Amino acid sequence: MFFLHNLERRVTLHPSYFGRNMHDLVTTKLVRDVEGTCAGDFYIIAIMDAFDVSEGRILPGSGLAEFTVGYRAVVWRPFKGEVVDSIAYSVNPHGFFAQAGPLRLFVSSHLMPDEIQYDANATPPQYTNNADIVIEPGTHVRVKLMGLRTEVGEMWGIGTINGDFLGCLQV
Amino acid sequence: MEASLDAEKQAEILRERYGKRAPARGFGDSVVVPKRLLLPSVEDPSIWAVRCKEGKEREVVFSIIRRVEERLGTKNEVPIISAFERGGVNSVMKGYIYVEAQRQNDIMIALDGILNVYPRTKMILVEIKDMPDLLRVTKTPNLEPGAWVRIRKPAKYAGDLAQILDVTENGLEARVRYIPRLDYGVRDDALAALDANGKRKRPGAPGPRPPQRLFSEVEARKRQPRFVTASNAGPNCWNYMGDEFDNGFLVKDIKIQALEVKDVNPTLEEVTKFASGAEDGTENLDLKALAASLKDSNTNVAYVPGDIIEVYHGEQRGVVGKATNVQGDIVTLQVTEGDLKGQTIEVPNKGLRKRFRAGDHVKVIGGSRFRDEVGMVVKIVDDRVTLLTDQTNTEITVFSKDLREADDIGGQGSLGQYSLLDLVQLDPTTVGCIVKVDRESLVVLEQHGETKQIMPSQITNLLPKRKTAVAADRNGSEIRLDDVVREYGGQQRQGKIIHIHRSFIFLHTNTTNENAGVFVTRASSVNTIAAKGGRINAAGGPDLDSMNPALKRNPAGNNAPPPKSFGPDRAINQTVTIKKGGYKGLLGIVKDTTDTHARVELHTKGKIITVAKADLAFKDKVTGRPIDITSRGRGGYGGGGGRGGFGGGGGDWAGGSRTPSAGGGSERTPAWGSSKATARTPAWSRNENTAGSRTPAWGDGSRTVNPYDGSRTSYGGATSYGGATSYGGGSRTPAWQSGAMTPAPDGFGHGSKTPAYGGSSGGDAWRAKTPAYGGSGGISAPTPGASGADSWGYTPAAYDAPTPGAGLGAPTPAALNAPTPGAYSAPTPMVSAPTPGAWQGGWGNDGGAPTPAAQVAPTPAASGGGVYYGAPTPAAYGPETPAASGPRYTDDD
Repeated sequence: MFFLHNLERRVTLHPSYFGRNMHDLVTTKLVRDVEGTCAGDFYIIAIMDAFDVSEGRILPGSGLAEFTVGYRAVVWRPFKGEVVDSIAYSVNPHGFFAQAGPLRLFVSSHLMPDEIQYDANATPPQYTNNADIVIEPGTHVRVKLMGLRTEVGEMWGIGTINGDFLGCLQV
Repeated sequence: MEASLDAEKQAEILRERYGKRAPARGFGDSVVVPKRLLLPSVEDPSIWAVRCKEGKEREVVFSIIRRVEERLGTKNEVPIISAFERGGVNSVMKGYIYVEAQRQNDIMIALDGILNVYPRTKMILVEIKDMPDLLRVTKTPNLEPGAWVRIRKPAKYAGDLAQILDVTENGLEARVRYIPRLDYGVRDDALAALDANGKRKRPGAPGPRPPQRLFSEVEARKRQPRFVTASNAGPNCWNYMGDEFDNGFLVKDIKIQALEVKDVNPTLEEVTKFASGAEDGTENLDLKALAASLKDSNTNVAYVPGDIIEVYHGEQRGVVGKATNVQGDIVTLQVTEGDLKGQTIEVPNKGLRKRFRAGDHVKVIGGSRFRDEVGMVVKIVDDRVTLLTDQTNTEITVFSKDLREADDIGGQGSLGQYSLLDLVQLDPTTVGCIVKVDRESLVVLEQHGETKQIMPSQITNLLPKRKTAVAADRNGSEIRLDDVVREYGGQQRQGKIIHIHRSFIFLHTNTTNENAGVFVTRASSVNTIAAKGGRINAAGGPDLDSMNPALKRNPAGNNAPPPKSFGPDRAINQTVTIKKGGYKGLLGIVKDTTDTHARVELHTKGKIITVAKADLAFKDKVTGRPIDITSRGRGGYGGGGGRGGFGGGGGDWAGGSRTPSAGGGSERTPAWGSSKATARTPAWSRNENTAGSRTPAWGDGSRTVNPYDGSRTSYGGATSYGGATSYGGGSRTPAWQSGAMTPAPDGFGHGSKTPAYGGSSGGDAWRAKTPAYGGSGGISAPTPGASGADSWGYTPAAYDAPTPGAGLGAPTPAALNAPTPGAYSAPTPMVSAPTPGAWQGGWGNDGGAPTPAAQVAPTPAASGGGVYYGAPTPAAYGPETPAASGPRYTDDD
């Protein structure tokens, strides 16, 4: 689910950049450092604005200035039970991997409807019910998240297509 | 008769007949009597233990019963009160029967003549306090077909799992099937051999035992055909060496003593071996029997407070709760679901199992082979939980009792010092990438693409990741770690480089699980998809955590690439003297060169030798004066090198604050390139010096420029034109003298003029002209950047005024702290001087009050716009005033 989230971050700036447009630089750096990263259990999609740049504080030792910047960002936090659209990128006998934006997820063959079977003979290998559903790399799939794991700088989920309205999307 | 009555009447009759008996109970039933009072006392009869034949206890007791019945009501009734036995396979009381009687002699009478019992041997009187224990019931594990046991006795099979097929009637033996450990006679010789003492080795002596493998008829026939006979028990049944094999399993009757029936704890893997025996390949796992075996061994299921537990057996069945306390066998649950929600109940350990849900993050504990794996639950069937491991993205199935909720990640990331994806040396010619870490072994993918399971001890050493490792891809492009490449041909796999080892590269991809996504290929067979370096640069902007590149004072020096020269090496055919080595001082002509060395034909010996270029001094062919061949014709370059301080935004090495000349080889003068004939720099003409970069004019100037002597604008020196200060003889920079005309800043009418132009007003050719222009005058072009530091201190030449800047390492002051808006925003007249980056422009804005000098600041470099070679020579542009902010720098050294 997407949220607008108020966050705070410390940004450091080299003394050689001190000057009149320092705050712009701080904001630039903030955007560059933060946008598109995974912050624990959510992804920072975009920074709306940096509304509060504190006074700089010189860090003893290095001479860098540290600014505490409050900013507002669009974040995406996947939840257990959330339904997301994803694109399958790898199919193997145990299930398939898909990517929902930045989130990689795995759909086990146990978590598919019974009629969907792995077909190793197709090229590329696919999951299919021999009718309208064919899941192969590149297929758009609607998946319900069953579990999520967070690692440093990364998230990882498992999903199911066992349920109403889940599975292949007609593109 | 009774049958004719209706049911009610019949019931009535029965009640009359028997009804009254019910109330006549013993006091033991009617009231609660303390157990203590029920215990035998001295008044009660004694109990003796009488020896009997082991295994015949029950028979003996039955004989006694028969005798009692026979003699009942006769004169010689059997004078004992009771007789019982506690035999059994594992019983400690086997080999005895126990007889209760008033006197020992009664027992002799009662047992006299009964087979298998020996009353005449010493009878043991059971002490009163031990009597109750005789009757204590311990539940014997009852072996049912399908249950799992472990084999204890034949040492060869000790510890192996076996499945009970049948139990013989007397309960002493069980027919079990298990996986044989056969070597088909491979080691027979060893058996036959005599050991050191001349004795036959005992079969079954400790030694390596063959691995568990299903019986193979083919193999058996191959080695020992005469021992193999088909059995008539079934289609796939064989007799081999006296043993019976059914579907590959060894089937045998084994004494129950030789079996372990408690705490069997079969692991799923062991059990699966039995299950896979079905011919049609279907899984015929008898989970019930398995579960029963497991339940017996609940002792080692450890519940920990916090576990989510489900009661699956007993009254509380279906209750789910969180364990809050565990004491012995009793688990206290805080119920979280259902009607009892919120209550705390206590349940025995026995009927519990841990409960998980799909999506839970769990860790394998306990006796499974998958111990310490961490993963996410994808499926739960009864007790069996399937999870997808974090590490390798494979699915494993374990019992829920072996799982715990996990917070941590990874788990099996490493074994000792080796962790997943490390590159290790296996032998001098083989390296491998670790693709799987088990508890005691590793799986490595070797450079040739095979995987191999090894022990950590087989690894020679760990190859550290070399961040600088470089290889060339198929097109000869450089590839480094973390670049994304694709195989050319073959499977066209694409991956990120994780290791480069000689010509092999190990790649990692997320699209497959095989070998943890690692594959190996040759560097020469891949194409670059995305080089990491490229991406980073594209991200744009400098690193705000490190020094602003625009402000670097002297970035040239080390990291500046040498100017590339086009065309044939100018050294060829030059006359040189050798400065070092055995040939020192000899004169010769360069015949051929490489980047570093020259082949010199010596005049003296008519011999060609190879000498490092650095050891050569070039001479004029005619005059014999030292010349600088590199500067000639490269004036353009020199000019280009002299970027304005602001040019640095380009981010390349030339950026930053060079003086125009400094940027290039320091010896060039901007003027140089323009025309050799006329626009010579003083250096040039002043041949005494290799450096050649003296300011020309200053014969009169007589070193006024020395920064250290105070009155000058020492810094003017830093810029090439600063050199001009010497002109004035005073502290002025030429720019100043020329009426503060700045070429770049257009704002001022005059300002737009270059000093050179100003020169016209000055009337004095020397002063007025920019060095470039001075070039026309032959002597007037001061060298801006000046050459090496040494040059200015002494110039024997006619023009002996050294350029002050030279010694100073030549940062342009302007670049550092006096940027003027003009400098940035205003293109120099001749070339546009776009500022490289917006933000740098910002910087410029920060500059203080513009000084005229500062306005003069655009330098050729600035106009060069970062195109190194394209940079016009100052001469060409005449107008630039290099001096820039000369005056401001007095504080700098």
